[in-house]
Amino acid sequence: MAVATLRLGQGSLAALEVSNRSKLRGARRQPEISMSVRSRPLSPHLQIYRWTITMTMSIVHRATGIANYAGSALLVIWLLAAAAGGTALDTANAVYGSWFGQIVLFGYTWSLVHHMLGGLRHFVWDFILGMEAGQREALAWGNLIASVVLTLLIWTLFVWVL
Amino acid sequence: MRETVITRDIVANPKSKYGDAPASTRHFITQRVTGAINIAFLLLLLFVVVRLAGEDRSEMVATIGNGWIGIPLALLLVVVTIHMRNGMRDILEDYFAGRIYRLYMMLNTLFCIAVAVLGVGSILKLVFWG
Repeated sequence: MAVATLRLGQGSLAALEVSNRSKLRGARRQPEISMSVRSRPLSPHLQIYRWTITMTMSIVHRATGIANYAGSALLVIWLLAAAAGGTALDTANAVYGSWFGQIVLFGYTWSLVHHMLGGLRHFVWDFILGMEAGQREALAWGNLIASVVLTLLIWTLFVWVL
Repeated sequence: MRETVITRDIVANPKSKYGDAPASTRHFITQRVTGAINIAFLLLLLFVVVRLAGEDRSEMVATIGNGWIGIPLALLLVVVTIHMRNGMRDILEDYFAGRIYRLYMMLNTLFCIAVAVLGVGSILKLVFWG
């Protein structure tokens, strides 16, 4: 969503520029201004800007959202197997319990935690808090660090120890 | 979803409307409300998975088959699929337009319905039929 905002921001900035120009300079020759969805972005994009933690966490928020979307299939397959019967559940448990399954589930845990914390960060921003320079970077770093710490805590407590 | 090319006249006109304002606001609020509810889902999921990971069917029936766990889990799973569909719509709107957008949006809806129906169906099976 933040990525979308960034892009829309650029689009409307360009639109503003165009409309200002047309007001100020009237009929002077203009660059091509007809905007369609395909012709965006009109202003410099990701490769031009310095890579920042806030834009990284914005992209990761979207990426983890997609991962959670796909990961919901894992939950449903597990529930389906349990409903289907003992052998199906044994198969599911064998796959999920394998080293590869455990790596996927660890990643899924981190993805869920990161997306949840990212959502909480958006709730903070919805109240127009934490938007100043420094604050937003702290929130972004906090999001990343807390997601790793919480994931390790969950797995240490409930998988590796218990 | 925007399908008409935005001309200079549209941009210059302060009364131009871009997109469906009520639907967009509804989308925004739905995403916040379902997102907040999803925190409860994650806590319940953590409880269920920690209790049942690798366990056999009788344990699954004993825990998820308990209506006080199974029914909230099923309801929260439906809320999750609403959040999923909304979020995927944001992404699809960013990268696709026109017919291909509508095709992907339909697939998005079908996937989310499948997750909801299969998930809720499985849970209800465990609750009511063991």
